[in-house]
Amino acid sequence: MDPLSLSSRIAASGLHAQETRLRVVSENLANAQSTGETPGSDPYRRKTVSFASYLDNATGASRVKVQRLGFDQSDFVVNFDPSHPAADEKGMVKMPNVNPLIELADMRETNRSYEANLQTIKQTRELVTLTLGLLRNN
Amino acid sequence: MQPIQLFKLASQQAEWLTVRHTVVAGNIANVNTPGYAAKDVEPFQAVMETTRTKMAATHSRHFTDSKLRDSIRSNEINGIAVHPSGNTVNLANEVSKGSGIKREYEINTSIVKTVNRMMLATVRK
Amino acid sequence: MNIISQTLSAIDTTPNATNQTEFASLTGATAAAGLRAVEDVQGPGFGEVMAEMAGGVVTRLNQAEYISMKAVQGEANTREVVDALMTAEQSLNTAIAIRDKIVTAYLEVTRMQI
Repeated sequence: MDPLSLSSRIAASGLHAQETRLRVVSENLANAQSTGETPGSDPYRRKTVSFASYLDNATGASRVKVQRLGFDQSDFVVNFDPSHPAADEKGMVKMPNVNPLIELADMRETNRSYEANLQTIKQTRELVTLTLGLLRNN
Repeated sequence: MQPIQLFKLASQQAEWLTVRHTVVAGNIANVNTPGYAAKDVEPFQAVMETTRTKMAATHSRHFTDSKLRDSIRSNEINGIAVHPSGNTVNLANEVSKGSGIKREYEINTSIVKTVNRMMLATVRK
Repeated sequence: MNIISQTLSAIDTTPNATNQTEFASLTGATAAAGLRAVEDVQGPGFGEVMAEMAGGVVTRLNQAEYISMKAVQGEANTREVVDALMTAEQSLNTAIAIRDKIVTAYLEVTRMQI
């Protein structure tokens, strides 16, 4: 297979993976305050995404894919708020284990990686244009 | 004939550059993959010496799948360059490699274009 | 592409014709000795060289056509297609230049005062 079209496919797999990651980050941020509904119930649990590289044996290219959407098993933050519908008998409410700072940092990193992949696609297109330029009227 | 040799060499370098570009694309795509080791292709000189015989297609219908793939290595990186996740991709490095590839490819195509133009000029009225 | 190949294979008959006409018009008593000397020279004749060249051009054109068809099907390497087309263009241009020269030479001969 043409190495150039392979490059854009690899970059596209990178874009797809980063998109998924961005979706998970925004889910986490949106649900940073989502508590349970019944007293003592668990709130929203932070989602995590993990990537894996997989080697396409036919082409020898290392693409990336989302291996697993998991859950962050760390402890929930507990707040004292007896008037809350999800408060238990001691008046404690479990809040999601989402740290907005971590999510924002993750989002920045996603952004950077996304841009780098986009740059790869642009560059691939430029290489193809250069190649086809050989056939233009000199 | 001299120019024909040049065209062949230029095509081989172009192939090497595109394969290297694919490797760089793979590194960039896997910049956040845990445990991924950055890869690179051996220098063109070294590849030329080892794959010279392999690159020949003895029949026009032979489409040689790039033997350059055999020369893709992931080099050992230790110490501070390794991320806590075990990833050894340095994004800045890869991006600069990418622009280097583009520059070399530009030179390659310009040379081929110019030589081709010169060859055609000799037969035009 | 077929028409081109036919035109090109026509080249390898043209030189023979030119050869014969040229030599026929030269076959005076004085030129006969010179002609024999030319025929004694070792190696491929003019016609053979031309035929070989035309054959090469046709091969390259066929190869360019084949690779272009692969490209249309999305199987070929962009650079391979471009290289094949460039080689074919070079060969074709050379062949056309030589054909033009041959035609000019032939016309020169026909206009020759006898």
